[in-house]
Amino acid sequence: MKIRDAACCADERVVRAAAAEDCEESRLALSRRAVLGVSAGLFSWACTPGWARASAEATNDPRFLVVVLRGGMDGLSTVVPHGDKAYRSLRGDLAIPRNKTIKLDNFFGLHPSLKNFGKLYKKGDASVVHATCVPLRNRSHFDTQDNLENGHPGATTGYATGWLNRLLSALPSGSPIVTHGGIQIGEAPLILRGPAPVLGWSPERYSHLENPLLYMVRTLYKANDTQMYNFLEAGLKADKLAEGKGSKDKNISDLRKGFRGAARLLRASNGPRIAALSVDGWDTHTDQGVIGGQFANLLTELDQGIEDFRKATGPTWKKTVMVLVTEFGRTARTNGDDGTDHGVGTVALLAGGAVKGGKVVSDWPGLAPSQLYDGSDLKATTDLRSVFKGVLADHLGVPGSILDTSVFPESGGVKQLNGLISASSGDGLQIAESSGRPVSLTSMAPIARYRRGEPVSGAGPRVL
Amino acid sequence: MALSVSDAEKARIAFQRFGLGAKKSTFKRVAADPMAALVRELNKPKVALYNGRALPSYKKAASQSQKSFDNAENFRRKELEARVKKHLRADIGFVERLVLFWSNHFNMSIRKSNAVRGTIGHLERTVIRKHVLGNFSNMLLGVMQHPAMISFLDNDDSVGPNSKYGRDRGAGFNENLGREAMELHTIGSGGGYTEEDVTALALILTGWSYVRNWEADNGYNNGRNRNRGRFIYRKTWHEPGAITLMGKSYPATGRKQGIAALRDLARNPATAEHIAFKLVRHFITDEPTPEMVEPLKQAYIKSGGNLKTVSLALLQLPEAFSAPLTKLRTPYELAIAQFRALNKIYKKDDYWWAFAGPLSALNNMPWECASPEGYPDETLYWLDPDGMTLRLDTAKVSGSVYGNRYRSGALSLARSLYDSALTPETKQRISEAGSKSSQFTVLFCSPEFQRR
Repeated sequence: MKIRDAACCADERVVRAAAAEDCEESRLALSRRAVLGVSAGLFSWACTPGWARASAEATNDPRFLVVVLRGGMDGLSTVVPHGDKAYRSLRGDLAIPRNKTIKLDNFFGLHPSLKNFGKLYKKGDASVVHATCVPLRNRSHFDTQDNLENGHPGATTGYATGWLNRLLSALPSGSPIVTHGGIQIGEAPLILRGPAPVLGWSPERYSHLENPLLYMVRTLYKANDTQMYNFLEAGLKADKLAEGKGSKDKNISDLRKGFRGAARLLRASNGPRIAALSVDGWDTHTDQGVIGGQFANLLTELDQGIEDFRKATGPTWKKTVMVLVTEFGRTARTNGDDGTDHGVGTVALLAGGAVKGGKVVSDWPGLAPSQLYDGSDLKATTDLRSVFKGVLADHLGVPGSILDTSVFPESGGVKQLNGLISASSGDGLQIAESSGRPVSLTSMAPIARYRRGEPVSGAGPRVL
Repeated sequence: MALSVSDAEKARIAFQRFGLGAKKSTFKRVAADPMAALVRELNKPKVALYNGRALPSYKKAASQSQKSFDNAENFRRKELEARVKKHLRADIGFVERLVLFWSNHFNMSIRKSNAVRGTIGHLERTVIRKHVLGNFSNMLLGVMQHPAMISFLDNDDSVGPNSKYGRDRGAGFNENLGREAMELHTIGSGGGYTEEDVTALALILTGWSYVRNWEADNGYNNGRNRNRGRFIYRKTWHEPGAITLMGKSYPATGRKQGIAALRDLARNPATAEHIAFKLVRHFITDEPTPEMVEPLKQAYIKSGGNLKTVSLALLQLPEAFSAPLTKLRTPYELAIAQFRALNKIYKKDDYWWAFAGPLSALNNMPWECASPEGYPDETLYWLDPDGMTLRLDTAKVSGSVYGNRYRSGALSLARSLYDSALTPETKQRISEAGSKSSQFTVLFCSPEFQRR
């Protein structure tokens, strides 16, 4: 029973350590389960028997992965503004020397732990947006994570749907993005919650049932409960595809399994086109470290995940964009515990073969005392929604009319950031301005549907 | 002598649709007349209540939770353990299921704050349980004046803009509690209230707060050591003047204004309909029809919101014992059903490994659902590909942890829990499964055990 120590107790430690900081960090607890039903295609038990082959051919549709870095990632240590004179004194012991970072341009250096990301940057497959943040700037994990995922201008609660799900709901139904749908890896994040059915897959956390026991349970379901049988078969297929051949994923972390699984699923020709996954642990209040230590280890693991993802997407990489975002940055100054507290401005990282890379995009606000937000944080000069809009428009061909209303409500004044995506990416996918489907901005409560005389439950799984 | 298949099915319905799962010790008594056994449970005095020396008083839970995460977490663990043990003692567990239903109706997450973490168990034990077969308006008032709900829905800093404090400081109100009280707790979406009503209720509830640690430490805002962490009504934060909610004007009576408004919301026929609908959907079917909802709604209206009367009306629906068991046990219900079947719970050392871990993996750890809507009562929320494979994985854990601690084998246990409702297929697969733990895994995976 090895897993006992490796998985469960580790989680408990993470949660307790985080919650001991007396903010709502325990929100960062890992949970791994799917929400709602199944998307079209991939997991339908009726589809072609050969689909689960890991080598399923890639298609030309664009692929999109959103990685939510939960806890508030320190943007100033991830992409270091050496060119700002105030940086060194502000960061004191946590300041990273220029000669230790990977040079991105004359102003910015990359944390040395992001080696693979650095290589992608040099190759033109990765870029950075600096001094960005979600519209809500109240420094609460709970509220700003919601805000990042619900896509609303700044209200904190009461929105039960996520912008990525509303994207799937708003695009015209013929679109390949809609046909193939989205998947959440691991937990069921708000960003993918909503009316459009989404698939879920989690990295193996407890060891699977093996034959002959598994066979017996399948046989039992087949005889006695078709619905349970069908869902189990679909889940087993998802595992088979996402977990890869043999046991090469055996000794790697859940995080890396998640990135690999996401890549394999996105790569499959009838697999999902959109995925979301979360990486926890960025709330570095104490002993953050500089070149090594806690924060560096987090980055190393993430960097490995990005590289795993790149490799596992294979030929699909060139059609892929991944965006790595966090709910807020850290205070510009260090605190008394060699860490940093909840702040505002931070970075967004982009990687993928479809990214127009090799640049740091930033309207740099400066770090002088008078330039800091509330006198304490890096100011956010770019609304994170501008980044998302730029990617969705240029990579997935989503028209502004859908972006400004259904996906990011009341965001007409938030301009999309251009030039993030290489020109060929959205080819042939431009979706007509007038083709969007209406989307309710809050989920339709079952009682409301009952009162209107409609079927109460969601559409459930779609079968090919 | 074995029961007829239809009698055994009725017992299974009592234990699974309405209860927390069959127990060897009570199976025969319940199977003799399942309906009567359910009613008996409702009639048992103080059936929902329990107490224990280890469980904190209101004062202790509220104040100590403010002081540290560890205190709050300690209370959570103790309250949860006491809850699980209470689930095991119930004959059928219908009242326990009702407690879980109402707890989910007023859902909160311990991840929000130490206040919620340390007092949510107290709220459930002393407010939900106290009124689970009593009057809904009392339950509503108890919840709304508890620090856990005040904290979870952000009412602690909600200040009337025209109150003294609001004018002095330029402070404003937070509409979260007012909105959810209407949308989720009483009237329900589509029940005829407007955005103006949401604002009105939020203003009516301004000044309903709790004493935060820093207020008690420094004597701010009437905070003292003796009221640390407890609900407080702050007069100088309350919006002055009469306020109109759903067409009725509520005069400026301070805290009583809110009590009157909430009592009226509880009495509203739309609230009756919302609660009736949710009960039917939770216990019987994903798609309640007006024919199922109306009898409960009328029982609610006629009894003035008496929840025992409404629960009886649920049992008396024609579908109560005739509709097939098409819903799926939640992972938590599944864990409890295993404990009841085996008459064992997790050992202390197994808490994470065999209980909290699997429930976290399946996203169903009690008091940790982040949305104020609570866990959905939709079968396909629980029954999906990822959920199914995880269910099997965790059934394997249960089989090896609990099954091996059980004296006899899974087949004889299955016979005594299901009698003639045990299908030949399940019987056959259990007996083929080989090792003892594998046999329990098959039993826990079987549709007989998973559905409700």
